[in-house]
Amino acid sequence: MKVEVFENFSLKFGVKLTFGGEMLVQRDGRFFLLNSNVNFLVRDDFFYAGIYLGKVIDGKVFPSFNLLDMLVKCEANRVVIGRKASWLFICGRDVFRKSILRIYGDVCRSEYVLVLNEFGECLGFGKVLVGLSEYSDKNVVAVANVLDVGDFLRRERVV
Amino acid sequence: MSGKDFFVSRYEQLGWKYRPVELRQSIRFNRINNVKGQDLVSRLLHLGLNLDKIEFLSDGYWVCDSRVSAGATAEYLLGLYSIQEAAAQIPVSLFSDLEDKSVLDASAAPGGKTVQLANIMNNSGSIVAIDISKQRLAALSNHLERCRVKNTIVYQLDARNSPKLGLRFDRILVDVPCSGNFASDSKWFQNRTLKDIERNARLQREILMKASECLADDGEIVYSTCSLEPEENELNIDWAIRRLGLEIVKIDCVGVSGLTVVFGKELDSSIARCRRFWPGLTQGFFVCKFVRNSHES
Repeated sequence: MKVEVFENFSLKFGVKLTFGGEMLVQRDGRFFLLNSNVNFLVRDDFFYAGIYLGKVIDGKVFPSFNLLDMLVKCEANRVVIGRKASWLFICGRDVFRKSILRIYGDVCRSEYVLVLNEFGECLGFGKVLVGLSEYSDKNVVAVANVLDVGDFLRRERVV
Repeated sequence: MSGKDFFVSRYEQLGWKYRPVELRQSIRFNRINNVKGQDLVSRLLHLGLNLDKIEFLSDGYWVCDSRVSAGATAEYLLGLYSIQEAAAQIPVSLFSDLEDKSVLDASAAPGGKTVQLANIMNNSGSIVAIDISKQRLAALSNHLERCRVKNTIVYQLDARNSPKLGLRFDRILVDVPCSGNFASDSKWFQNRTLKDIERNARLQREILMKASECLADDGEIVYSTCSLEPEENELNIDWAIRRLGLEIVKIDCVGVSGLTVVFGKELDSSIARCRRFWPGLTQGFFVCKFVRNSHES
């Protein structure tokens, strides 16, 4: 059942992730993917294990950056943004249409899209607010920030 | 028995003359996340982070000058590098053949060395990382996620209980909790007493003893502290040689030989194979590599 939650989440990016022979384990609502090197080491009381996929709360997925990387490898819907916009994005800001350099996939309004920097590294993801492939006003917010790597700093402040 | 004069006099007895030290920040590139052949040095220079290679480390760089905080760049947040003190990068580099091995990282949080292990292992094999503090485990977990570590299992466990894991490890990192040193803590002389140091030394022996019970027959242990105090270093190592059936392996790295005479007490001569780092180029540090004593096994 839980595998399906992540598979369904990936559909929002226009791809379907499948988790082959790897084992999915859960601890306090956090999900981890284990390969054969580590799965035999996991006891019930583990704190963190293998590849952290994200949290699921009331059926809603809060993905990890590992999961976003997996979506990048699957060629999920994604946009590449410029240098300045990349910095603003990891500071929690949204993406303007004019900052999008390239669009990959069938990116539709209201869907999720991965946000990559000019080096192809995944900075996070957002929700598409306007049709990107068609002509649109360059000065409108095109992708609303949902999660960005600046979250690592924000988490530390909370701790 | 505390205070700056007390400790400075001890260092002089051990052969080192005290001088204030200003540490340089250092970072370590995470190989597993730099697979695209990018020139990360140039990329960081472009941001205003000027780096210089640390000669004695394979992936370490000094931060020479910086217009930005090294801990708040996109590259840092993407796990392309970690901020790790130069001497602290040495212990993990001393293990031989880490790939595909099973590794125990006792006292793992906040995870700088765990990430370094995973990097050298290229995410192969397995690492069991334990720490007693749940709050520190949260920081460790964030570090693992940020740096895309995939081969590690984390448990909240006192390192003195490591045999309870019921596992044998090929490599064990015993980077024990220690008293630290004045170079990395400006209030060190005010806050530390000999009693603290002796208490820490006892804890370190217990951790080392229990960790050694988890060592595979042909395994390796690297023991390290960032303390300058011989009670936490050479004296513990002397105890381990006599009590735990371990022998010291010669290591090839910077630093000076471990002390074989401490405050008039003569220790096992093999302790000269350990490396001691008086503050200067790096913070104060001590490192020792063990294998099982071939005669005893």
